[in-house]
Amino acid sequence: MKAMTLLMSVVAVTFPFFATGGDTQDPTPVPGAKKQVYGDTPEELMPYGKFTEPYKRFFLEPNEYRGYGRHIPEPEHVDSVKIGFLGPIEATVSVATGGASHEEQMGRKMLQGARLAIEHANARGGYRGSKTPYELVVRNDNGLWGASGNEIVDLAYKEHVWAILGTIDGANSHIAIRVALKAEVPMMNTGDTDPTFIETAIPWVCRNITDDRQMSYLLADYVFGTLGLTRVAALRANNRYGRMSIDEFRDAATRLGHPFLAELNYQLGDTDFTPQLERIKTLEPEAVITWGDSEESALILAQMRAMGMEQLFIGSDRMVTPEFLEATGDGAFNVVAGYPYDPESGDPKQVAFVEQFTARFGEPPETYAAHAYDGMTQLIEAIERAGLNRALIRDELMAVTSWHGVTGEKVYDAICSNRSPALLAVVEDGAWTFRSLGDR
Amino acid sequence: MILSSTSRRCNSLRELRFGASLACFAAVLLTVGSAASAADEAAGPVGEPYVYTHWETFYASEGGLPNDHIFAITADGDRLWVGTEDGLALYENQTWRSWREKDGLPWRVVSAIAVSEKTGDVWVGLFGGGLARFSGGRFDNFNQFNSGLVNDVVYGVAVLDDTVWVATTAGLSALDTVTGEWEIYTEKNAPMEEIWCYNVDAGDGKVYAAVWGGGILEWDVKTRRWNAHRDPDREMEIDLFRDDGLIHIITTAVSYVDRVLWAATYFGLSRYDGRHWRGYMDHDSGLASNFINFTKGRSATSSYNATDRGLAVLSDFSTDTWVSYRRDTEDAATWTAHISVGNEERRAMSTDLSLPNHFVIAVEIQGNDVWIGTGHGLARGVGAGFFEGLSTPHVEVAKEAGQ
Repeated sequence: MKAMTLLMSVVAVTFPFFATGGDTQDPTPVPGAKKQVYGDTPEELMPYGKFTEPYKRFFLEPNEYRGYGRHIPEPEHVDSVKIGFLGPIEATVSVATGGASHEEQMGRKMLQGARLAIEHANARGGYRGSKTPYELVVRNDNGLWGASGNEIVDLAYKEHVWAILGTIDGANSHIAIRVALKAEVPMMNTGDTDPTFIETAIPWVCRNITDDRQMSYLLADYVFGTLGLTRVAALRANNRYGRMSIDEFRDAATRLGHPFLAELNYQLGDTDFTPQLERIKTLEPEAVITWGDSEESALILAQMRAMGMEQLFIGSDRMVTPEFLEATGDGAFNVVAGYPYDPESGDPKQVAFVEQFTARFGEPPETYAAHAYDGMTQLIEAIERAGLNRALIRDELMAVTSWHGVTGEKVYDAICSNRSPALLAVVEDGAWTFRSLGDR
Repeated sequence: MILSSTSRRCNSLRELRFGASLACFAAVLLTVGSAASAADEAAGPVGEPYVYTHWETFYASEGGLPNDHIFAITADGDRLWVGTEDGLALYENQTWRSWREKDGLPWRVVSAIAVSEKTGDVWVGLFGGGLARFSGGRFDNFNQFNSGLVNDVVYGVAVLDDTVWVATTAGLSALDTVTGEWEIYTEKNAPMEEIWCYNVDAGDGKVYAAVWGGGILEWDVKTRRWNAHRDPDREMEIDLFRDDGLIHIITTAVSYVDRVLWAATYFGLSRYDGRHWRGYMDHDSGLASNFINFTKGRSATSSYNATDRGLAVLSDFSTDTWVSYRRDTEDAATWTAHISVGNEERRAMSTDLSLPNHFVIAVEIQGNDVWIGTGHGLARGVGAGFFEGLSTPHVEVAKEAGQ
């Protein structure tokens, strides 16, 4: 705890990052004079920012849909208004692990949140108060890579859903949105924090959860700026989540002049991390970062502490669980993670949601449940405004620039990705506490 | 020949700096303009590209097509195969035939079609239904449960010699139609950073796959080796330099013709001649939009691009001359052809193309004609008097013939 106290006593520096030197080479001409910033990227973290201006910056304008879909007439009658749900809810064999799948816990929470939003909408009178109920059509995406594609085809062409909510795994999400693009079905993502998910120019996709780009920027600012550390080593999951989501933190470290001392990985399902940690220990890092699920992150931390490694331990939002604290016990000090929202904000909407969710399911919500509730509510609101036309639902979804839900204020950028600031999740007195940019 | 020498100068100028092509185009016009007495009717003034001004349209309501949402168009000599959201269609001798699920088509959504030159078999990619072989009036279905097809969500099909290549959402499959053996290519045995294959094209001993998030993969049939083409800057949110390689790693279609590769992305178009890359975007070319659903190379110097804002045709690579067909306004009765050099519009021409929407999904060349498929209807541009490149002055043609 001593180290943690010392860590937290450091006076916070203001965002953005400290200034860095730049190259004097003339930039490549860029069309358009006004400089815009995608992803709220700090100047110091711009790709090739010290080298030159890029020829073209993407994602600064809305992804337009210019197809025919808006002309398709609304059906005269429907028995229910179907909305698809795609998520990891059934345990299967996983390509990532070569064994048991690993995301059902998150998927089931996501399903609970989505289901509660449907129930609330139906309690308000269903579709436009007509008593026509909203119906959740649930599909599991937890099969081998590609399973999500078949499920989206099924939802679009057999179930004739009006919109889809899903999913968590980055590979499945990417597959799903490509199918949604072809089938022209709007999708709301509430659980995939992979930055590249939204960087695909698909005009049918929205994401309401703060992504790993934002969380990485915050963590990098904290580690290299506020704390002034320079020596970081990484040990991450050897799956798509670990590979893609650590990208922005790694790039930030490199661009700030502090490249990783090492980046090692582990296979999902591993329980012994001492070989990797022994190598990392010899490098004498000031901090160790991991990017993976809660269970493995807890094991890594516990084994670090057992080896006498008391360095700052940095992780992803998946680490921020009660189970992590239980598993790490006294070793849970000097720990920090990014987090997509403030679950303790005291916002009346959030308080009411926690009460209702707990009453409905007999257990409290967490991040996947809360974001799914918000995402599904946003989808339903878009359907209420647009009517039963997928393209018009898409238009309504994309038109939202800010939205207040149980996860707080959502601010959407040009390509419908939530850019609400990430929070720091810090272990303090054996519990997770959440700090915004200003008060960390 | 004056035009040829001017074109050669333009070619070298093009290598020097962006924007030179504009001057080159003017030079072409000045040089040959005075010598020309008449130009082809479809071409307009001398030195201009061919413009499709006359179009025929086809809709399901007319009784031919099974559905108006067109996903794939493939020419097979005088025959034309069309894949729709609800059935397969054949246009032959000005007559339509179609097949839906009730007619034996294994799944309603036809996303890709390829015809074997050797056997005449039609290979049909089904979006969520695997692959079908249409032969002798019968459909045989290959899916991920009864064959080596890696996934049932098929985006592209190509045939090279005896092998059928299938781009699926979870990798690439290859069926040897002689032995019946399948090969599967994923991240485990090919340089796929991602496995989401979007399109495949084959020819001249090469197979090219457009991989969503993985760039363009090149398979050499003789050496059985892969080569990967990726965006050199490796960043999603920028293109660092225009001509350093693929514009973006998210590729949507690929076309290989005359040893030149055309690669479509949702961020622009790339051309690769085996040595040099050239990038095109909406702000620096005749592309009306960077969002390209499909590309079809007509030659090494010309490509037809199905964009969400019409059909963008690079008519002449050396002078960077484009014709972009699109609706100018939402309520326009017909599409307009915009002729440009780079992104500088030279003039606009009316056409009689009346498709109600210009989100073009598929494009195919059939002889002198061009076919486009949209979310609501199919159209054929009638290529009477079609010529490649820029129009040639009759005086010069006569002079050359005399020599």
